Amino acid sequence: MWRPLRPVMPVAATILAMAITPTFSPAQESTTLGGYGEIHYTNRSGRNTPAEVNLRRFVVYLAHSFDDHIAFRSELEIEDAKVEGGSAGGEVALEQAFLDYRVSDRVTLRTGLVLPPVGIINETHEPPTFNGVDRPAFDHDVIPTTWRELGVGILGTLPITEGLSYRLYVVNGLKASGFSNAEGIREGRQEGRNASLANPSLTGRLEWVRPGLRLGGSFWYGGTTAGDTLLGTGTFAAPVALVSADARYERGPLSVRGIVATISVSNADTINALYGTAVGSRISGGYLEAAYNVLPLLAPRSKQRLNAFARHERYNTQADVPRGTTQDRQFARRVTTFGLTYKPTWNTAFKGDYEVRRTAAGGGVGEGETLRLGIGYQF
Amino acid sequence: MLLVSLLLAQIGTAQTPKVAASLTRIFGRGAIGTPVVVNADTAVRVTRGDSVLGFAVVRNVKGKDQPITFLVATDPSDHLKDIDILVYREPYGGEVAYEAWRRQFRGKSAQDTLEVGRQIRSISGATISVNAVTVGVRRALADLTSWHRAGAIK
Repeated sequence: MWRPLRPVMPVAATILAMAITPTFSPAQESTTLGGYGEIHYTNRSGRNTPAEVNLRRFVVYLAHSFDDHIAFRSELEIEDAKVEGGSAGGEVALEQAFLDYRVSDRVTLRTGLVLPPVGIINETHEPPTFNGVDRPAFDHDVIPTTWRELGVGILGTLPITEGLSYRLYVVNGLKASGFSNAEGIREGRQEGRNASLANPSLTGRLEWVRPGLRLGGSFWYGGTTAGDTLLGTGTFAAPVALVSADARYERGPLSVRGIVATISVSNADTINALYGTAVGSRISGGYLEAAYNVLPLLAPRSKQRLNAFARHERYNTQADVPRGTTQDRQFARRVTTFGLTYKPTWNTAFKGDYEVRRTAAGGGVGEGETLRLGIGYQF
Repeated sequence: MLLVSLLLAQIGTAQTPKVAASLTRIFGRGAIGTPVVVNADTAVRVTRGDSVLGFAVVRNVKGKDQPITFLVATDPSDHLKDIDILVYREPYGGEVAYEAWRRQFRGKSAQDTLEVGRQIRSISGATISVNAVTVGVRRALADLTSWHRAGAIK
């Protein structure tokens, strides 16, 4: 019955494309609901530190595709279970909310509340994707995850060689008034709320991927005045420059990941004088983590995973300090974490770990041991 | 003829040339595909002249929130010839379209248990797509193989 068609069609193969077209089912609007979350049990060593349980994150993922080219994606997060007037803690926030326009297979334009493509955890932060109950401390104090800002960007693959992709965004800048000695640039994030656009900043990432291997390099560059003329004038006044490199490797039961980053805060002296803080002029560090799926040793046919892992982090939020600021060695931190991640499915995780924190200052301040248990999921 | 008309009405989506290009890439120039309706599904018989080059099927699997449209092609001995990612709509995970990942499937048969982390290496940061496409390919390969052995496609 198909023969009469052949003379009509210039390319024979397109005949069948018509027949297959129904299975493509594109160009239909569809809405997707998903989510991820994590619940933590935390028990710090020492007297008078009873264990604590916390519904750390509950995130609703809502996405809508308008057609094959335009899609909206968002994550709405509740941290620490609830927010109540008059009591501290808890947060309701949009973690992401952006529109993607897929121009071609190689190029997508993105605009909205986006995640700066810096490091490993910021963009891939669903709990089953990382070992350890909590995210690495480095991804709190050095790279301030979950880091999100408003902006526009372009992303896609590069035709130079297979496996090379990029993301490049222009977003609102950091706000130096939030910088601190212990957490670096963390509270300088504006997170999409009435953000000052005095310092449009550039951030981007280049990635190279092979099966089992992902290498990435990221940067952020931008001013931090948020319009405070005492700190400076001009788009790139009092700039923060971040560069980082990361790697993820998997082979059979073994998985390894590591990252290094360095952040320079150019006018740290002025920032510290102006805002009464003690931010480092350089913040740097990294970590290395190795995990081994031990389940095949116990149950060779099981498809589940049981990762035994160890991670060592070294970072200093005052690696260098400006003239006039006293360097505090307690900010030179070493965090060693080891534990287990049991994954009955790829998107659920039961975790347990033990963390040892030490500082270059010693003496117990900012030091200690913590036992954590947790669950995480994504769908 | 009614069916033909219905199918003709479906022409015009942007993906149509991609299927043609994919079959040409996998089977070489001059490969002619003929749709074969199997139950509620449609397979493709690929021929050049009098010789049967193989079979193919186009399917969708769900990624994080978007369908990933892919093609699986087999040779007459039911070994997987190649897969192709025809349309990828997700913001992350598009690495499943890379040749270096796809080529792991070549030569596999329905007897091979295609599993991520065993026969198929994963891609860090593309877990959802890797798992979805692997499951989709496994099912497509099983279907093509059983249809061929049952004589539904020949």
